[in-house]
Amino acid sequence: MLETVGLSKTFKEKKAVDGIDMYLDVGESVGLLGPNGAGKSTTISMIASLMKPTSGDVLLNGKSTIKNPADIRKVLGVVPQEIALYEELSAYENLKFFGKIYQVKKAELESRIQEVLDLVGLAERQKDLVKTFSGGMKRRVNIAAALLHHPKIIILDEPTVGIDPQSRNHILETVRRLNVEQGTTVLYTSHYMEEVEQLCDRVYIMDHGKIVASGTQSELFSILSSEDTLQVQFSKISENFLEAIRAIEHVRRVEETGDGVRIISKKGSNMLSELVHAAERHHIQVIHFQQEVPSLEDVFLHLTGKTLRD
Amino acid sequence: MKAVMLAQFWKDKRAPFIILLFMAISILLTVIFGDAERIDQTTVAIFSSESEEIEEFWEQRLNESSDIEFVIKDEEEAREGVIHGTSDAAVHVMEDDFLLIASSNKPSIQMIEQEVHQVFLEEAQLQAVAGSGNMDELRTEVQEYMKNPPIEVETKSLEGGAIADYDMGIQLLFGFTLFASMFTIGFKVNGITIDKASGVWNRMILSPVSKTSMYMGHLIYSFLVGFFQILMVLLIYEFLMGYDLGNFLMIVTIAAVFALSMVSVAMLIAGFVKSPEQFYMILPSILPIIPVVSGVYMMPGTITNPVLQFIGDIFPLSHAVEAMVDVTLFQANWNDILLPIVFMLLIGVVAMGIGINMVERRR
Repeated sequence: MLETVGLSKTFKEKKAVDGIDMYLDVGESVGLLGPNGAGKSTTISMIASLMKPTSGDVLLNGKSTIKNPADIRKVLGVVPQEIALYEELSAYENLKFFGKIYQVKKAELESRIQEVLDLVGLAERQKDLVKTFSGGMKRRVNIAAALLHHPKIIILDEPTVGIDPQSRNHILETVRRLNVEQGTTVLYTSHYMEEVEQLCDRVYIMDHGKIVASGTQSELFSILSSEDTLQVQFSKISENFLEAIRAIEHVRRVEETGDGVRIISKKGSNMLSELVHAAERHHIQVIHFQQEVPSLEDVFLHLTGKTLRD
Repeated sequence: MKAVMLAQFWKDKRAPFIILLFMAISILLTVIFGDAERIDQTTVAIFSSESEEIEEFWEQRLNESSDIEFVIKDEEEAREGVIHGTSDAAVHVMEDDFLLIASSNKPSIQMIEQEVHQVFLEEAQLQAVAGSGNMDELRTEVQEYMKNPPIEVETKSLEGGAIADYDMGIQLLFGFTLFASMFTIGFKVNGITIDKASGVWNRMILSPVSKTSMYMGHLIYSFLVGFFQILMVLLIYEFLMGYDLGNFLMIVTIAAVFALSMVSVAMLIAGFVKSPEQFYMILPSILPIIPVVSGVYMMPGTITNPVLQFIGDIFPLSHAVEAMVDVTLFQANWNDILLPIVFMLLIGVVAMGIGINMVERRR
């Protein structure tokens, strides 16, 4: 449905986006994950036809949107990172204004405003001025304004920045409903990996203007697939015992942590029984053990050497 | 375009105070400074600490040729009047000299001083000619001689009638009215910069509304608000405060062209700034200079420096005030005001072109 080919943007010698190839299929929910300054917003601006790329193209159903921006604008709803609303007007007046500029038919506009207000859970506060709203409520109106014209694709640029957990959950639920119940294609950017994990079928990870990894979540986790990590708590630890663990086949690294031992071994190597035997030989009891499941944060750390919030 | 204008109107409907404030300011400034110019309606106290004869002598001389009425008063009363602001000035007359007593440097003070100085100068000339002779005889002789002067100069207006007295109050009335509207127009045009900073502009770009409509919506609304403000103030002057502004249709036409041109100048300023906050900072710094370099606060011909004259001419204010004053005081016709209107339109076209170009480049 939507595709970027070698998309690049340079600002005064600085390459903000560097040859990005990505695609969105109909009804998909795709995450664009990266730290601040990775180039996510610039990429989105180019996809949305708000900014011309230095090179590359954005294709909608195979047609260049750089040449015909009107094509993508018809089917696109963009939720910007900033609160793009008139704060002096009420939520209802804002939506009426955006409905009018999106040329939603007069007969349809009123019902459409109520629909989107219901969706974001602000129907009861529609007559209140936006400037009296909390940050979370403003962000919900910000989303509602992008939905008035029934967009087929919606791009959300960090829609949960700086808001309370309740509003955040509400926004995530709204996005999920848009995608699952209404079949809207979603491109969701965030530097909160747990949001992307929760919402997205596929993920692109960006850093320094480049896509450093992409795929489904399991595909991304498989980047870390060469190793298993086991966190074990013993009744006591001795140097001899640690040596015995290191001697077990496929164990690559043993690290003493504050509350136990972290054992990194070759992926799929079943060394648990040998570990228990070694403990028995040293008269040590295994109190607790846990196989660590990797997160997108771990994937990002593995790929870039830094955390998402760095 | 209609939706963009409507949204701006909804915002102002909630907070109309700025427009009302600037309307009030322009009327207040005219009342304060405009009426201060109307010294023909006031009297000036004179007194002498030397003798009553001196007072009576100078009272007669001063009232012979002046439009200002000079009245003998007690020194204390005259000084009190100046201190409490009931009169602009008082004159302490001496045998061959005078002292002007004033509490502030109002434009009217200069005119009073000029009048008194002229009378004292003429009297000194007569004294010099009379030498040790009889002063009264010489005065009568001069007066008789002047009844049939060898050269008589008669000044007429272009239409053949009498030349109207220049009324600085009217010039200030138009000047302050247009000056206050410049702020309103500027702040409204800043709506574009605000929309750009908030992201609303990008939302509009993504909508089917064309960029021309987006600009037009903002600019037409700014024009309408600015023009409405000028119109309201002029109506108040004409119908509530009893000013005779002459051909009202011509005055309103000039006001409309001025508002249009000022929208363009505000757009040009918007092209130079990076944020709405910067606009709010720069506009009030630039606007007060414009009436000064345009000579709005001064009698025509006061500014003679060609550089200042050129700077004044590149802003629409000088052209608008000149045209309005011509209509009100000198009964100018449509042909007479065509040139200032063309100048204002030219400024508008150039400023708008550059302004929009710069705003677009800044994206």
